[in-house]
Amino acid sequence: MKNGRFYVGLVGVGLVVAYLVWTGVSDSMVYYLTPTELVAKVAEDPAFHSVGVKVSGRVVSGTYSRGERELEHRFEVHDLEHAEVAFPATYEGVLPDTFTDEIEVVLEGQFGEDGVFRAHTLLTKCGSRYEASPEELMGSEVSA
Amino acid sequence: MVIAGALLLVGITVFLILQPVISGEEAPLWSAKDDPTDAQFRKRVSLLQLRDAEYEYAMGKLGEEDYETLRKEISAEALAAIRAEEAESSGTEPRFEGPTDADLEDEIAKVRSRLTGGAFCSQCGHPNPSGSRFCGDCGAALS
Amino acid sequence: MTALGEFALWIALPVSFWGMTMGFVGGRQGRGDLVLSAERSVHIVFALLVVASLGIINAFLTDQFQYWYVANYSNRQLDVFFKISGLWAGQRGSLVFWAVLLALFSSVCVFLNRRRNREFMPYVVGILQGILGFFIVVLLFADVNPFEQLGFVPPDGAGLNPQLQNYWMTIHPPVLYLGFTAFSIPFAFAMSALLSGRTDSRWIVLTRRWTLLSWFFLSNGIIFGMRWAYEELGWGGYWFWDPVENASLLPWLTATAFLHSIMIQENRGMLKIWNMSLVLLTFLLTIFATFLTRSGLIESVHTFAENTRIAMIFLAFMGSIFVASVVLIVYRLPVLKAENQIQSFLSREAAFLLNNLILLGAAFAVLWGTIFPLISEGFTGTQIAVGPPFFNRVNIPIGLVLLALTGIGPVIAWRRATRRNLKRNFAIPVLVGLAVAAFLFGVGARDGYALITFGLSSFVLTIILVEFWKGTRARARIEGEGVLPAFLHLISRNRRRWGGYIVHVGVVLIFTAFAGRAFEVKLTDTLEPGDTVSVASPFGHDYTLTYQGISSAREANFDRWVALMSVDRNGEPVGSLSTEFRWYPSRQMSTKEVGVRSTLLEDLYVILAEAEDFEGIVANDPGAQRIIVEVQVNPLVGWIWYGGVILTIGALIGLWPAAEVRKRPTSQSAGDSEKPAAVGAVSA
Repeated sequence: MKNGRFYVGLVGVGLVVAYLVWTGVSDSMVYYLTPTELVAKVAEDPAFHSVGVKVSGRVVSGTYSRGERELEHRFEVHDLEHAEVAFPATYEGVLPDTFTDEIEVVLEGQFGEDGVFRAHTLLTKCGSRYEASPEELMGSEVSA
Repeated sequence: MVIAGALLLVGITVFLILQPVISGEEAPLWSAKDDPTDAQFRKRVSLLQLRDAEYEYAMGKLGEEDYETLRKEISAEALAAIRAEEAESSGTEPRFEGPTDADLEDEIAKVRSRLTGGAFCSQCGHPNPSGSRFCGDCGAALS
Repeated sequence: MTALGEFALWIALPVSFWGMTMGFVGGRQGRGDLVLSAERSVHIVFALLVVASLGIINAFLTDQFQYWYVANYSNRQLDVFFKISGLWAGQRGSLVFWAVLLALFSSVCVFLNRRRNREFMPYVVGILQGILGFFIVVLLFADVNPFEQLGFVPPDGAGLNPQLQNYWMTIHPPVLYLGFTAFSIPFAFAMSALLSGRTDSRWIVLTRRWTLLSWFFLSNGIIFGMRWAYEELGWGGYWFWDPVENASLLPWLTATAFLHSIMIQENRGMLKIWNMSLVLLTFLLTIFATFLTRSGLIESVHTFAENTRIAMIFLAFMGSIFVASVVLIVYRLPVLKAENQIQSFLSREAAFLLNNLILLGAAFAVLWGTIFPLISEGFTGTQIAVGPPFFNRVNIPIGLVLLALTGIGPVIAWRRATRRNLKRNFAIPVLVGLAVAAFLFGVGARDGYALITFGLSSFVLTIILVEFWKGTRARARIEGEGVLPAFLHLISRNRRRWGGYIVHVGVVLIFTAFAGRAFEVKLTDTLEPGDTVSVASPFGHDYTLTYQGISSAREANFDRWVALMSVDRNGEPVGSLSTEFRWYPSRQMSTKEVGVRSTLLEDLYVILAEAEDFEGIVANDPGAQRIIVEVQVNPLVGWIWYGGVILTIGALIGLWPAAEVRKRPTSQSAGDSEKPAAVGAVSA
């Protein structure tokens, strides 16, 4: 038997994986935007309100409050670079432990016509980097 | 204190890495005999494959016909490796004359019994697999 | 002590580059003195990096907050245990830790090969010292120096992130790093085979145990990470398809492929170029994973690269390794020809080849999904992300095929198998698999993928069991042994094969656990003391939880609120459960400590989502006891951890040196030296 048939097998496996990746991407891809980009997109094309998007931003200090319903949370999110771009957001569910003021969050959901972002998932950027600025360190108190 | 420690670290380091260059002390560049050569490696692999094939036959995973063809194929490879190894150690070209099946079986059985701790019959010299109590050729009791 | 550590890091830099140069030059010119110097430099760099690590640990233990790293990852109240593990809690320290582990492995490797495999060693030393030198350069020049000082002494440190104050999080990174660094040794041997021209199977034989060691650590590192996420992140999941997780999975996938293709090269002399490429790819992915987990590239592209310099240095390093290795492989192409061809589709080598292709396909899909936002930004200017649905959609079918191959591989013969035999060997396992799937369908399980997984798992387990049984019986007959000795000898005579089967059992359990997620149950409820909440398990029984009340307490490092619930199973009391909320004032952070009641088949998992009035609880206000809980039943989740234990046992059997090798005869005659030792070495 020639190895030629195995190249056919190889190409076959490659095609199947490529097909899975292709359909997987087209079924689950969402725009991943900054608040600035989202606001610009919506201004350009109002139909964008009904498109599901992912947004990464920062929780504005002091804006967090509990909503009326059980496990409903309200807060404002601003752009990481342009702090003046901000909008309110809501999320229903258990908040991740890392959720606090000024934490970077990734929201997935829709940016409603009323200007409120309704997130169905909320992730906080977690993991490897937890660092304080020199100012924060200077101000830390000895609480022992 | 820190300076003393630092000087000590530098001193030891420099001494250790420069000493071979200055004194000419050498690390071996070639290995001692016990590194198996490619031929030895292939011989071992073939013999191991032979053992596996035997087990798979005994386990009922291989049919008799398949087992026979497989065994011939592996045996030929094992023999080629044995010849190559002999040639390596004696420094001559490997022998290429085709062996008869009987030669082949004998030779491999010999090597295998050495590997698995088998015994040669004291009466007729037939190699027997380990654990045999009687010679497979002449039937004499093995010690 | 700490200052000395910093100094040691600075000396390690020239020493590692000295070692690299002397290794290559000594190997090229055949100068034994230079090679000896290079080998010594390996041990010296290891010693120097140990001094540097001790310096960092010392700074943690003595609260030297003038160091940026210590100030950011410790404070005075921190437990000594976490102060020591501060060495790998953050990016800077973990790079030192990475380097010290690599230096440890390099040192062990040089020591073990001080008299053997000498023709490889000059280049092996050169390559390993090159990698080490690179990491030391990163440490000293890429703004990640762990010894950097703030210029003032803060009164206290910022403390360790409470999420990292967990046993699993302390052990997870080191184990993963052991896996990453151990793979540098196979890479170094592969490249030195190409450099020295000894391209036969020797390097494969020399490195397969290192590869298994690396794979073993990687697997455990990943499982520990899952355990941490499950216990600490407080939402009942263990895998997010987060870039950092994906990064650790990638080298695992390619290392798994390599472990299998090693056997094809050993047995059939094929796939030499493929194996070289797999080693290179896996090594690059270990570096990529280290880089991704510790540089914040993927996380921060959306804003601004926080530390572009480290990204550039890493990319340049990976790029040059890639180019140099590919050039070497191409240069040696003529001697990397396959000695045999695949004879049949129905053969073990074909099954292994398929396994390799599929694992690589999975690795490609995971990599693609991970860096998709970057790719789409490059092409369209807007980032487009793919989420967990993408990864599940692609990887579940791939995983199922792999699971099936796990069962097919052991039974199918090398070279070529005949259909008649396959039928005979597969009949019973296939029937068992179908029966299990049908039974589960009958009792109400309706998830298609889960049913296939359970069916395939039973198929594979049956095959492995039958394999063990038949092997034992055959050995008992051939060698005339009793059943138990035959079983033990069967394993000890071919540890790699039978250890591998045990690993497969562990992997099957883990896959089964993944499928169990399809049947998880969760609900949330608001409770006043005395209220009950009921949840039905997919296994038919139900749990009733009665909320007893919540109380608060102050600990050294945090405040805690503990809600107590009693648990009834089918109306019978089975104990109580507490679920907790903690507040760490020094970090201004909260954590939820979930309450878990584990049984063999499922976990009852209770999260304290919210309390109405935290101050009221502290003040013992009886009207402030209202809480919201999320109650989950997570079926089969424990099987991941059990599977991990079985996998570990199997890998250890495979790693354990064969008895014959351990007492290698010292006799000099060539004839003697190939006694059982020879067989042992091959089967080891």
